[in-house]
Amino acid sequence: MNFAFPSLAEPQHFSLAEKLLFSTLALASVLLFWRRFGVVLGKILHSKKDPGFHLAPILPRIRDFVWEVALQAKVIRQRPAAGLAHAFVFWAFCAFVLVTLNHCAAVFGLGFLSPDGYLGRAYFLFAALFALACAVGILGLFVRRFFLRPKWLGEKLSWESGFIALLIFALMATYLAAFFTADASPSTRALWWLHTLALFVFLPILPYTKHLHLVLSPFTVFFSRGGFSRIPPLVGDEDFGLVAGDSLTQIVSLQAYSCVECGRCTEHCPANNTSKLLNPKQVVLGLRDYLNDLGPASTEPLLGKYNAQQAVFECTTCGACEFQCPVGIEHLPILIGLRRGAVNTGTWEDDHGGQLFLNLERGSNALGISPSERDKFIQRQQLPIFDGTQEYCLWLGCMGSYDPKGREIVADLARVMRHLGITFGVLRKEKCTGDPARRLGNDLVFQQLAEANLEAMAKNKVKKIVAICPHCVRTIQEDWKEFGAPPIIEHHSEFLARHLHQLQPAQNQEKIVFHDPCYLGRYRNIYDEPRAVASLAGTIVEAPRSHERSFCCGAGGGLAFLGEESGERIGQVRAAELAATGAEIVGTACPFCNSMFRDAFAADSAAPQLLDIAQIAARALPVREPGNGGV
Amino acid sequence: MKIVVAIKQVPDRDEPVRIDSAGKWIDESDLQFAMNEPDAHALEEALLLKEKSGDDGSEVIVLSAGPERVATTLREALAKGADRALHILADDLASRDALGVAQLLAAAIRPEKPDLVLTGLQSEDLGQGQTGVILAELLGLPHSTLILHVDKIASGIEVKRELEEGWYQTIQLPTPAVLTIQSGGNKLRYATLMGIKRAKNKELRAIAAAGLVSTAPPTVVLEKLSLPQRKKSTQMLEGTPKQAAAALVEKLRTEARAL
Repeated sequence: MNFAFPSLAEPQHFSLAEKLLFSTLALASVLLFWRRFGVVLGKILHSKKDPGFHLAPILPRIRDFVWEVALQAKVIRQRPAAGLAHAFVFWAFCAFVLVTLNHCAAVFGLGFLSPDGYLGRAYFLFAALFALACAVGILGLFVRRFFLRPKWLGEKLSWESGFIALLIFALMATYLAAFFTADASPSTRALWWLHTLALFVFLPILPYTKHLHLVLSPFTVFFSRGGFSRIPPLVGDEDFGLVAGDSLTQIVSLQAYSCVECGRCTEHCPANNTSKLLNPKQVVLGLRDYLNDLGPASTEPLLGKYNAQQAVFECTTCGACEFQCPVGIEHLPILIGLRRGAVNTGTWEDDHGGQLFLNLERGSNALGISPSERDKFIQRQQLPIFDGTQEYCLWLGCMGSYDPKGREIVADLARVMRHLGITFGVLRKEKCTGDPARRLGNDLVFQQLAEANLEAMAKNKVKKIVAICPHCVRTIQEDWKEFGAPPIIEHHSEFLARHLHQLQPAQNQEKIVFHDPCYLGRYRNIYDEPRAVASLAGTIVEAPRSHERSFCCGAGGGLAFLGEESGERIGQVRAAELAATGAEIVGTACPFCNSMFRDAFAADSAAPQLLDIAQIAARALPVREPGNGGV
Repeated sequence: MKIVVAIKQVPDRDEPVRIDSAGKWIDESDLQFAMNEPDAHALEEALLLKEKSGDDGSEVIVLSAGPERVATTLREALAKGADRALHILADDLASRDALGVAQLLAAAIRPEKPDLVLTGLQSEDLGQGQTGVILAELLGLPHSTLILHVDKIASGIEVKRELEEGWYQTIQLPTPAVLTIQSGGNKLRYATLMGIKRAKNKELRAIAAAGLVSTAPPTVVLEKLSLPQRKKSTQMLEGTPKQAAAALVEKLRTEARAL
């Protein structure tokens, strides 16, 4: 067959000297590669096994692998231009597996892809398309890193990245150039040897640089913990979380070595964006440096030289980092693990934190308010007590029980539920779900609260719960599982969205911007239901950062209970962003977000109205239903 | 330094209080209990002293008298860092007076021969403020009350004592001595998982009250317990704003004692 397209030129014969040279270079390259990679692999494998890790179910793992690794979905989606360029580099590497195998085999006359045969010629052209895309891509990425210099790639220029880019370009260029030479010509042989050299220099460099992710990241994605912010159980009497090298597990070590330093985690971190010390990328790299210097058997604390305790306690657990990571690093279990290591051993000393734990230890709620106040609220609002006959248990939570705004939200939700004819009751006594203790790493208090609550729920025959707070929903549904079987729980946005057809839109239609709470959006994947309810108030406008990119209000991770923040206040930054959309209403679905924005808007007389979706749903109801007195 | 901390388990301060059917004590069913706060501060001060002394074999022993449920509070003290615990089992604590309780505690403390005995200034339920002082007398030891800080010095201890209106007193005492501790001198530490796990291996020894001291009839008997009657009264203050304001300040100072 005769093709109009050019074909790949290859040297047809290799001398004995060439064979020997090739073999020596190959052996040296592989040995140098292993010299470093073997050490890294050793550090990972010698780390503790992960308790609670299950390979099954395997289908979600395969699905995630195909989506994130093969199709490069996360890489492209969150940074489209650079992501696509990287994707082509990756796909070119995949296409080049056969090309490279053939390249090496050809030295010994064992080449299996012939440029004359139909299959070989087609394949070489196929690879050439990718080589072209890759060459263009790598050039673009080089320009981005060295000339455009995005902040998230770090202050220092990475010469190692430059060199790797050069090697990749060389590999593609030497391949493509061979389409324009003849088999017998010396330039073909030169190109062939240049390609070979580039290959054998590239391989041993890999394990010394972040390009190790080429080897590791497919495994990192495949062997992830699963879920989102999946906090592992503590096992035995000596396990307190991530205290020292010997508490690092295989998953953590694997993830630490997989970091590509892209900085996507830091780019979206609310703490980092408001001048705080926390830098999620540096937390992971700090662990990597620790492993490189001290190894997985060391008893030196992880928080100290390699990572600052202060930084770790600035995290709001919003999850923007973990959600973004294209190589599957799970930042939240790492950050919470480091907090556990400090709190469970008593090495975290914080006035407000200590007071929070003492409040939770003795009282029952995180706010340190007398439980009789909750009783008074229930009486004033005439909320029915749950007795096992009603359909729903309405869970108030600490904010719904004690915070003035939280109480308004509960009162309005109760009005809506009465209007819909849905039976519900509230528990006589509630203890905090333990969310702040859980996110701050206090397993003692969290276990006590979870067990006490599960017992109370079983005793009261609670089957279905609806709650106004995404933190309560998450903690009850996921975190309590470690200590028992929690009842089914949903967030009030899910409940209200189902009954939307029975709710009236407001007479006065206004512009409304909905703020996606971290624990409802990224944690629970709920974006449309609250918007459906919010649209009862008018037209929805979106903040620049919305849906999975929503910017935290700053209250999560127990931070609402700690002291003054340094730098700018996260809640104020977000409130300003929401107000700048020009919306007349800011819609929320979390009492914590609500209280943070209430505080931020307090000083601003031109601030938009702040309404929870329950309040929006209740607005069009006939006024003065029973119990609609003061809160 | 060997330090004994005497603590009391009291109803949690936020619990609603109901008088029992006999009218002589509160109805304890359904109540949550916690460590008496001034005693928690006494424990904190003892633990700080132990930590400050480094590794000289200092020991903190916690002691409490009461029914079975008191063991939880003792375990909490062990979890916070005390070395061992003594539980004087007594189901009838409510019917003993301060002298009776102090006699129980003294009998348990004497064989330990401690350098320092710390206890809270007063309890959150009865608030008599006597047990610590009587204990010192029974043990024949010098004592000081309302203490915020303790420091070890060559001749014994130096303590900071709280007086009224923001005044403090510094006193030096020889050891052994008894101190009653006021709340607020330090931030209390929280119980940690590591503390609870380590506490599993620490000694908690129970002693029957009867074995310690022969029961004598109490010298003080609680006749009746009742909730205060809530009265509401309104006083109209006459005169010019200046006169009314002066009268108001006088009433707040002398009658309401709010100033």
